[in-house]
Amino acid sequence: MSKRAPKGEYIETDTGNKVARKATLVGTQNIMLGGKTVIQPEVMIRGDLIRTIQASSQSASGAAPNNTAVSIGRYCFLSRGSCLRPPGRLYKGAFTYMPLRMGDHVFVGQGSVIQAAAIGNHVHIGAKVAIGEFAIIKDYVRILDGTVVPPNMVIPSFSIVAGQPARLIGEVPEGGHEAFELRSLYKTVGNNPHPAPS
Amino acid sequence: MAALTPYTYIQCPCADPSTLGHPSGPNAPTDTDADEDDRTFDPRAPRSNYSLYPLEYLLYCEDCHQIRCPRCIAEEIVTYYCPNCLFEVPSSNLRSEGNRCTRNCFQCPICIGPLAITSLETKPNPGLLAASDNTAAPHHGPYALTCSYCHWSSTEVGIKLDKPNNVHAQLARLQNGGATRLTGKERKERRADPSKAQDADGRRRGASRDGQDLDLETQFTNLKTFYQSQLADPESSDSGLAPLGDLGYSSPTSLSRIMHLYTGGGRQDKKAKSRVGAMREALGSGEGLQLAHLDESAAIAALQAAGHDGTASTTQLLEQPPHLGAAHPHGSARLAASLRPIPYLLRTKRSKRCPLCRHIISKPEAKIQTTRFRIRLVAGTYIPSLAIRALSLSSGNPPGPAAAAAAGGLLDPLKPAHFLLTFKNPLFDPIKVTLGAPAATPGRFASRVTVLCPAFEVDANTDVWDEALKDGGGGERDKERGGRERRRRKGEDGGGSGGGGGGGGGQNQLEVGKIWERGRNWVSIVVEVVPASLQAPVGGGQPGLLQEDEDVLEIPMFVRVEWEAEAGGDEVGAVVSRDREAKEKRELAYWCVLGLGRIRQS
Ligand SMILES: [Zn+2]
Ligand SMILES: [Zn+2]
Ligand SMILES: [Zn+2]
Ligand SMILES: [Zn+2]
Repeated sequence: MSKRAPKGEYIETDTGNKVARKATLVGTQNIMLGGKTVIQPEVMIRGDLIRTIQASSQSASGAAPNNTAVSIGRYCFLSRGSCLRPPGRLYKGAFTYMPLRMGDHVFVGQGSVIQAAAIGNHVHIGAKVAIGEFAIIKDYVRILDGTVVPPNMVIPSFSIVAGQPARLIGEVPEGGHEAFELRSLYKTVGNNPHPAPS
Repeated sequence: MAALTPYTYIQCPCADPSTLGHPSGPNAPTDTDADEDDRTFDPRAPRSNYSLYPLEYLLYCEDCHQIRCPRCIAEEIVTYYCPNCLFEVPSSNLRSEGNRCTRNCFQCPICIGPLAITSLETKPNPGLLAASDNTAAPHHGPYALTCSYCHWSSTEVGIKLDKPNNVHAQLARLQNGGATRLTGKERKERRADPSKAQDADGRRRGASRDGQDLDLETQFTNLKTFYQSQLADPESSDSGLAPLGDLGYSSPTSLSRIMHLYTGGGRQDKKAKSRVGAMREALGSGEGLQLAHLDESAAIAALQAAGHDGTASTTQLLEQPPHLGAAHPHGSARLAASLRPIPYLLRTKRSKRCPLCRHIISKPEAKIQTTRFRIRLVAGTYIPSLAIRALSLSSGNPPGPAAAAAAGGLLDPLKPAHFLLTFKNPLFDPIKVTLGAPAATPGRFASRVTVLCPAFEVDANTDVWDEALKDGGGGERDKERGGRERRRRKGEDGGGSGGGGGGGGGQNQLEVGKIWERGRNWVSIVVEVVPASLQAPVGGGQPGLLQEDEDVLEIPMFVRVEWEAEAGGDEVGAVVSRDREAKEKRELAYWCVLGLGRIRQS
């Protein structure tokens, strides 16, 4: 059994997010959390890397610029030492970062670095995984430990990928959907953690 | 030796042909059960590999009331799509275009990473920044396909593209090195109109001397038309290869003649008769004759120049799509420089049918962007799940062998270890579980096994709404409940009064016939094992070299689940006793394998 966390290791927000005090969130105003998300110690989220060129449709309409650099859905779990970093590229001749979007029930393993453009719902990313810039990961995808997902790679739903570079090694079976659910994992961390279900 | 996390595999009934057809209802014959009890299933038998699956991989047929596995279901393709651009490919296109994406999706021939289309002259044009919304605008050709993982570029094999779109069609007419090649359509036109062929030859720098550079597709189509004309003209007696004519090796009818000799009745006059129908072989490149390039000095020179690093690996050659390499297979595709970008293989969404009653047991929505299923009858909602955890009996004392196993260690031979098996009931009816396990594991090394409580009941699962309510809002109740469960786990609260419904007394005692712990819809029992010594195989003798995974302690276990289900609204093939009462007895029995850990060697 894991040892009890010392009191107040996490900051628990109104929407149920549990953010470790020892996590590094840069540019918090540009980081959107959907609620009930766990951010463990030593996690880094680079909210400071915002888009420097706005989409022309927005600038033309005069709407307030959308500065979200990282958006995270509900029941996500960012393990110790993982890093979320918006991807960047040359866009019409100038360098700009683009937002990193993450859906619900996304697990990010220890020490993984995520530079994807989009990650869907119900995605399990193992430990020591590198996800290259602008990768797109759809729903119900399992990425095994140590995988290197090359930049721009698209991983369709129900894929199991592994290797360097990542290659498809299997399909998520019909009975494996429920295993992506992170509700019970959410309860096992925080300042008043519940024990893991046996 | 690497540690092993405990696992449970379930055997699909299709492994035993005698049970495949029988629904395991109360009316099922019981005489097979007696056999079942006698015969212990050996998880190490070579055939077992093909019938053991984790629970998630199993489906369930509601009509046959039986487990179905990936091996025994029948699949039907619902949708084809490209895994890269996620566009659906209609099955009509499939027949004409093949099973690969014909858009701009390619994989690196070196590392299989995705290839991106990049401009070879990345000249940023700031003037266009404000002027246009078109992202493609500031780039100009030529373009290349580049790998973002290993930085391979199609320029390495001499392929440059004029346009950033329609890449598949552009590549189809480009050889490695940049020379053009004919597409299938052009080949057809060329055959139909010989004058056009002259043009095409001219464009190809007069390289097409007779019998020289047929590419694979051209040779195949030439051969095909030639043989078709030969078949259409059975009177053709021109054997083509005159000097060998008498031997008749070139003639397909010689085969029937030889067969005739062996089957008896071979006569001299019949030989002459059969020669009338002889077909001849191709004579020129127009008929598909391709002389083998026996002179390999060029290939050897290329190999010497490129070195080992310049050669293609077997994996790389396997990934290459067939018939896309322009050159003839003799001596080609040995070098990495002859590899082609790989168009993505299409993926599919598939529905699954029960092999016996033909009912669909899994059917995804056809649309690619959705992950919903219309039908998804997974075994996990019908049969109890089984979790294994090593149990440390002595909390205060130094950790025993079981604790070591829990921490990723190995099982000590001849020292008793305890494991907790937790059965969780997914049904909304209480179930009765009966377990059977051999006293000693099969195989060369017999570990002793004792299931302390082989028969017990597990309470019904409650409605999903209860769980939803428990999740949202009710934080206080939640915490209280969590606290109670934790106390119960520590064994301070033996009563478990009303905790999860049905507190069985005498919990947390290592006692034969008693369950260890009970919750809302789950029950934990203890299995005691005495791991065998890997030095002493059954029947004596030297242990010799261990076979692969022979040190893994695997217990075969027969699980029988019985329950009473609502009989109403049942389907075809339901048990006859419907009108007798509202409930009907159901039974499901199967073998499973518990992998507990590795036994320490030495
Ligand atoms: Zn099967
Ligand atoms: Zn595609
Ligand atoms: Zn590559
Ligand atoms: Zn069926």
